Amino acid sequence: MSRRRPPWGAALAAGVAALSVGALAETFDVREPSLAPYRIEGTGIARPLTGRAGDPARGRAIARARTGGHCILCHAMPIPEEPAHGDTGPDLAGVGDRLSGAEIRLRIVNPKYVLAESMMPAYYRIEGLHRVAAGRPLLGAEDVEDLVAYLATLKGR
Amino acid sequence: MTTVRIRVPSTVKQGELFEIRTLIQHPMESGQRVDDNGRPVPRKILRRFVCTYNGVEVIAADWHPAVASNPYLAFFARAGESGSIEFAWTDDDGTLTRETATIQVT
Amino acid sequence: MILFRLSHGLVAALVLLTTGVAQGDDRRPPRSGLEFVAPGLRQLQEDEFANPGMLWVMRGNQLWREPAGAANKSCADCHGKEAPENAGAAAGYPRFDAARGRPVNLESRINLCRTEEMRAPPLAYESEPLLALTAYFRHAARSQSMVADDSGAMTAVVARGRQVFEQRRGAFDLACRHCHELNVGKSLREERISEGQSNGFPTYRVSWQTLVSLHRRFQACDTAVSAEPLALGHDDYVALEAYLARRGTGLAIETPAVRR
Repeated sequence: MSRRRPPWGAALAAGVAALSVGALAETFDVREPSLAPYRIEGTGIARPLTGRAGDPARGRAIARARTGGHCILCHAMPIPEEPAHGDTGPDLAGVGDRLSGAEIRLRIVNPKYVLAESMMPAYYRIEGLHRVAAGRPLLGAEDVEDLVAYLATLKGR
Repeated sequence: MTTVRIRVPSTVKQGELFEIRTLIQHPMESGQRVDDNGRPVPRKILRRFVCTYNGVEVIAADWHPAVASNPYLAFFARAGESGSIEFAWTDDDGTLTRETATIQVT
Repeated sequence: MILFRLSHGLVAALVLLTTGVAQGDDRRPPRSGLEFVAPGLRQLQEDEFANPGMLWVMRGNQLWREPAGAANKSCADCHGKEAPENAGAAAGYPRFDAARGRPVNLESRINLCRTEEMRAPPLAYESEPLLALTAYFRHAARSQSMVADDSGAMTAVVARGRQVFEQRRGAFDLACRHCHELNVGKSLREERISEGQSNGFPTYRVSWQTLVSLHRRFQACDTAVSAEPLALGHDDYVALEAYLARRGTGLAIETPAVRR
């Protein structure tokens, strides 16, 4: 049984320390009120937040939608029917080759564990934020899983 | 209070084409939007614009809800005689906004 | 041990590299938002007649001459019959008001004049007359360079503004700097990210079809990153305004700018 979620600063420190050696060495559980708990092991979150695999077709819709994840705001994606994808984040074509499902999941849930300075929002987090308008995460657990399932299908370029 | 901008050259040569530019402050509320509480916002647009030159119509336009707020219109007229150019915008509620410019034809 | 030293050296090199870049950014002259807009909007902004923001400037010119309040005074009675005698003054706000012991931006300067000199009620932030007067004064200072007082008591205000600029906020956990410093020139879909300079405010926003103050723009950015917006005129917004003035020093005033 691993320990409970460490204080936020410590969690970030763990993330930063891990980054400099190239991999997260620690395993720890993250629990936030009203969110599904998850366990970070190494460089990812192996277990789906909902306990089961998501739906890639729904995930693709969430990546497109302004009211969903709207991933294309910042990332180029193989979604040709949408014009004008953003470019503040990396191109996600082939992301399924570069990262495992567990690694993709951690990057959506909270990319600051991977890179503390990251510009990318944590889509499944409510604590430790400043002046937040709504007390709910940007995406629900099912939406995160649908996105993970979709992104994992993006192979080859 | 409605702010209007008109640009007409002060002098023009007889027979010459000259440009008239108009800009009027108006929300041009389409009537198709709802407010923060979900209630429809009543339509309020300028529905007609007329420009006359010494009493003769230069241009008349019927405007519809898709016209953007603060409508800008530019058009041309041919210089006849010195006199006045009159502009009139009619609101949905019947309010009339008038403006006059004078022109010297040489 | 060797590995340790190597990685240490690498970290040091990286730190040097990043500070070098940061300093480089600081020295680079600021770029107006005009450089980032689509050609059609640029044309609209530069057309003195068609620029819809000029409607507010005109209205401001009328208000300049209208007496108001129990004192029955107009702006023109004290500051110049035809136009503001010290037209450039608007380029230098916010300033520190020693008597009140706080920084004052153009909007609150106008309202202080109203309440104290004209004995008239203050104009609501973002009301048409306050937007009109602000736009009129800033337009009077058009093409003059933005200046910022960051000496004396303003030092702390500008420093606080920088903190606000760098503070992550909202569910999106973004600071102003993430877009307007680290990703300038990149795109969020069809929107090109500018430096977030303030030299064109109040600005006509085509998508909102109205003139907007700098503070309302701050609120819109806050809302966009899902942060609770601050009140118009809030101390932190005034501080951010002061930091942006310092950061944009040298840029020509372009009020009223036209943006998407």
